[in-house]
Amino acid sequence: MEKELTMPKLRPEMENGVLCAWLKEEGDTVTAGEPLFEIETDKVVNQIEATESGVLKKQLFEEGDTVNVETAVAILETK
Amino acid sequence: MLTVLTHSHDPFYNQAFEEFVFETFREDDVFLLWQNSPAVIVGSYQNICREVHVETLRRLGIPIVRRMSGGGTVYHDLGNVNYTYITNQDGPLDYDRCLGPVIQALNDIGVPARKNRTCDIAIGDQKISGSAQRAAGGRVLHHGTLLFQSDLAVLDQITTHHKNDCFQSKGTVSAICPVTNIADHLSKPMTLAEFGARLLDRMVPPGSPRLTLTPEQVAAVCRLRDEKYRSWAWTWGKTPTFTYEKSGIFAGAPIRVAYQAKRGIVSGAEIDCAALDGGEAARLLNGSRLDPEGFDEICRTLVGDRVEELMDWLL
Repeated sequence: MEKELTMPKLRPEMENGVLCAWLKEEGDTVTAGEPLFEIETDKVVNQIEATESGVLKKQLFEEGDTVNVETAVAILETK
Repeated sequence: MLTVLTHSHDPFYNQAFEEFVFETFREDDVFLLWQNSPAVIVGSYQNICREVHVETLRRLGIPIVRRMSGGGTVYHDLGNVNYTYITNQDGPLDYDRCLGPVIQALNDIGVPARKNRTCDIAIGDQKISGSAQRAAGGRVLHHGTLLFQSDLAVLDQITTHHKNDCFQSKGTVSAICPVTNIADHLSKPMTLAEFGARLLDRMVPPGSPRLTLTPEQVAAVCRLRDEKYRSWAWTWGKTPTFTYEKSGIFAGAPIRVAYQAKRGIVSGAEIDCAALDGGEAARLLNGSRLDPEGFDEICRTLVGDRVEELMDWLL
C-alpha cells in the first residue's frame, strides 16, 4: 500500500518548511521511527521520522526545496 | 534539571559534546554552559561562502564549524558564553518555553534582558543572544549565544555585507542585527566567570546533578568530533547547491569567475581573465571539492603570488 508523508505543521503560524536533507534514498528500507528527512523552519532543524515501516518509493522534492505544510514529500510503500 | 560540565574551548569538540549529550541523556532536562575559542559557527543548512569572508577567516586562523541546529551564522569567542537547553518535545515548536527561564535567570542575576523577535534576547533594542533548535526523536535541543564581552569588531570584519549578490543559492540566510555586550549594561559589574556561575546556579540549583563525562564518554565525543565535525563532508559537503558568478578586475585585467557546486563538488567552472590561464583554471576547479585549502592550492598553481587576491575571487 502506498502512503504519503507530508510536510508537518510544527507551529500554528507555520506555512512552509525547507526540505534540507534526505536521510534515506529511493529504494531504501525504512523502519517505523527511523528518521527519513530533515526540514528547517524558523531556525529549527526537525528530523522527521517514518510513521510506518516500508520502502521509500519516491522522493517528491529535492533538497533545498521549500514545501508548503501538509503537502506530500515522500511516498512510502508499506505492506 | 541536570548539567554536564565541559571545560574544553575547542569549538569542534564542543559541537560533538553537545550532540553526544543530546543523544545520551534522554530522560532529564539538561542545561549546559560552554565556551569556544574564536570560531564561526554556521547553521546546519547554510552556504558558508555566502555568510562569511572565508579568506579573511583563514588569514585570522578562525575555524568554521557547522552545527546541527537551524538558523544563521554566529561568531564565538571567549567573551561569549553559550547555553544549551535540552527537554522533551511535547506539543508544537515553542521558543518561549526555553527562552522564558533563561531570560528570568538573566533578570535574577541583574541583566536587564528581554525577549526580542522570535528567538532573540536583547537589552533595549540591541541583541545579546540568538538561538536555534534541533528536534529529533521526541526531544528538542535549544541553544543560544550570550555576548558578555565579545570582540564585536571581529564580528563585523568577517560578516559579508555586500557579497551575497554573487551567489544564487538555496539555504538559510543570516540576519545581520545590531548587537551589544552584557558587561556594558550591568549596574553592578561582574566578571565573566561570575556571570557563568550565577547563571548556572539559577538554571541548575545547587543540589541538582552536576555531572562530568566518563573517560569512555569523552573518547566517544572525540570520535564524533574527528569523524563528523572536523570532516570536509559535514562542514563543506553539506553546502546547499549554488551557482556563483563574480566579475571585476584581477591583476589589472578584467576577470569573470563562474561555477556551480552540488554537494560541495564544483562543476561548470569558467574563468576569463588575461592575467591567468583560464582553461587550466577550469580544469583544476571542475570536480574539485569546495574547500579553502584545496582552492588555495589551485590559486598557487595558477598565479604563484597574488594567491590571496585570487582566493577572494573564487570564494
